[in-house]
Amino acid sequence: MSDFVVPEANTRILNPIDLEYAFKLTAHYEPPQESHTPKGTFRYQDIVSGEVSGARITATVYPNSGGQYDTVRADHVRDVDAHFMVKADNGEWLYFEHVGYRRPDGYYRAIAYIETDLKGAYEWMNNTTFVVTAKESADQREVVFYYYVAN
Amino acid sequence: MSAPSAGDESISRRTFLGGATAGAVALSNLRLSPAAAAGAPGSNNEPLPPVWFDGPDPGIPRAGLRWAFSARVFFADRVMINTMDSPAGRGYTSVGGGDIWGPRLQGRVLPHSGADYYKTTFTTYYMLQASDGALIFIHNRGTMRRFAGPYERGKPLLPPPPPPAKQDGVYTRFRATPVFTAPFGPHDWMNHTVFVANSARQAHPDHTVFNYYEVL
Repeated sequence: MSDFVVPEANTRILNPIDLEYAFKLTAHYEPPQESHTPKGTFRYQDIVSGEVSGARITATVYPNSGGQYDTVRADHVRDVDAHFMVKADNGEWLYFEHVGYRRPDGYYRAIAYIETDLKGAYEWMNNTTFVVTAKESADQREVVFYYYVAN
Repeated sequence: MSAPSAGDESISRRTFLGGATAGAVALSNLRLSPAAAAGAPGSNNEPLPPVWFDGPDPGIPRAGLRWAFSARVFFADRVMINTMDSPAGRGYTSVGGGDIWGPRLQGRVLPHSGADYYKTTFTTYYMLQASDGALIFIHNRGTMRRFAGPYERGKPLLPPPPPPAKQDGVYTRFRATPVFTAPFGPHDWMNHTVFVANSARQAHPDHTVFNYYEVL
């Protein structure tokens, strides 16, 4: 067996990722509906409405355009899978997808993928990676998502 | 990017495989030296302090990143179904092998364990093998954007000049967002941690280096 040699390619030559705050989204949900499945406890939560605010965007969540399709695993971590539509105040549409984890210890983080008009005001969000930190209300009916651009 | 002709492909495939094989042979039967496993000072496994980022007002929760590990991935075959300017365009770039180092994971990329099956964004599936033998599945989604110049904090990122203008100064921002499936045990933390990565292509031989950060 040969020894593992730490490679010469020192990754510190790469610029570290700089997170830049972009906007917040306050989402309002119906109560979660849970069902038992072979994959764990499936947890559906309809997104009723929401507001987006930040220096570069003002928008609302399109009512009933999707929600949370999460799975609560055996270790009580929730696999977050969210899909919904947002309509900006200039009329442009944005598709939001969240992938992340909500843990019993309060850690609720996700990556957001946003798709929108290539010729629109929010084109900068396409193929931009957003790191999201989330705060959930005690009754789980309101979640505030804070989006940072991974520059 | 267009599909190469059969002749072109055999040449480029041999070139890529040559590079990948050199990496895979060097990495076969690896085990960690005690110093590397311990992240000894001066090694590339030394932890780095977390970095925290704030919003413009104190009501916004800060977000933190901490370097978890890095991977050097050698690719092998490159195949294209249709072309990337078609909605049916699908690329296949297989993973030849690679190595992993850093404070929270050391090991190798399991040779020939998967590929990037990309459309306009990366969609990569392959296996990592930690130095304790654990097999860890990585599903890595990635994106890239091109800008007129490098990122500077607080300054707007401008679009690249359209061709035929020279693209020499164009800066490419690669970001990857992996989801890991790890066995119970010392790597279980990867099952409930959000990650973000940057990456850069390197030459001689052709490979990509990824830095993986935990989102704190």
